[in-house]
Amino acid sequence: MSELKVGILSCSGEECLGGTISRLATRKVLEELQMVDTVTLCLPLYLAGGKEERNFAKVFPTISVDGCDKLCAKRSTEKYSGKINGSVDVSKIIGNENALNTKIVRNKDLTEEHFQMVEEVVSEIVKAISKISPDAYSGKTFKGCSCGDK
Amino acid sequence: MDKKVKVVPCSGIGKVFGLMAREAALETVIELCPEKSETVCLAYLVTGDKEVKEQIEGFNCITVDGCPKMCAAKNVSIAGGIVIEEIKVLDTVKEHKGKKFGSPTQLDADGEVVVNEIAAKIAKIINEKK
Repeated sequence: MSELKVGILSCSGEECLGGTISRLATRKVLEELQMVDTVTLCLPLYLAGGKEERNFAKVFPTISVDGCDKLCAKRSTEKYSGKINGSVDVSKIIGNENALNTKIVRNKDLTEEHFQMVEEVVSEIVKAISKISPDAYSGKTFKGCSCGDK
Repeated sequence: MDKKVKVVPCSGIGKVFGLMAREAALETVIELCPEKSETVCLAYLVTGDKEVKEQIEGFNCITVDGCPKMCAAKNVSIAGGIVIEEIKVLDTVKEHKGKKFGSPTQLDADGEVVVNEIAAKIAKIINEKK
C-alpha cells in the first residue's frame, strides 16, 4: 500500500515570534493530526543535505509554514525541491506586529496567548492539508528528516 | 557597521537536539550577550537572498547544530559567514548521559540545564573574542 503522507515544512525562523509559532504549530500537527500521516524536513537540509532531501516536495504533497511574509520556507522549497501544494503565512494569522516580535522568541517566554496563536496556525495547516487533491499523493516513500524520526 | 557576532542555530525540527540548539542560541543573544550578539534566521539564509547574504558575509558567526548533518555550519559558510566556532549540541549532551531532555516541542528540566550550559559556552567565546 502506498504511503499517504503530507510533508510540512516550517521556516522555524529564529529572529522573531512568527518563526517560533510556525515551528510549534508544525510540531503539533506532526504529533497530533490523525486524518493523515505527516512528515517533515529541516529546511536548511536543502543546501546541506543530499538528493533525497531535495526530492522532498517531489515525493510528498507539501505545505509550507512561514512565520513572516518573507516566505522563506515556501520559496526555498519551490527553489530546491519543486512546487508545493499549499502555504500558511503565520503573520497573516497572528498579525505582523506579533509575528515580528523579536523579544518573545524562546519557548520558555511563551504565554497562554501565544499557545492560542499556535492553535490558530494549526487550524490553518489542517485546512491547507484538507485542500490537497488525492491525485497529489505520489505513493513514493521517504524516511523523513535526517535529524529525527518523523 | 554592525559587528555583532551572529549566533545561528539549526533549529532542527525532528529531534530535541534541534530545539536545544535553538534555545541555546536564543538564550545567548537575548539574555547573555544582547549587546555583542544577534541571530539571523537560518531559513532566510537558505533562500540565498542578497539582503541576508549582506547581513552575514564577512561577519564572525557561531553556529549551533543539533545533529551531525551540521546544517547551520554548512549554510552559514555557503552564505559567506566566517564560522569562528561550530558548537555541537551532542558534545554537551554526552556529559549528561541517562538524562531525558524533552521532545522537539518542549524541553524538560534537564534539557534546560544543557541549554544553559551551551549558552554559557557560546557567551564565553563571544566575550573572549571582543
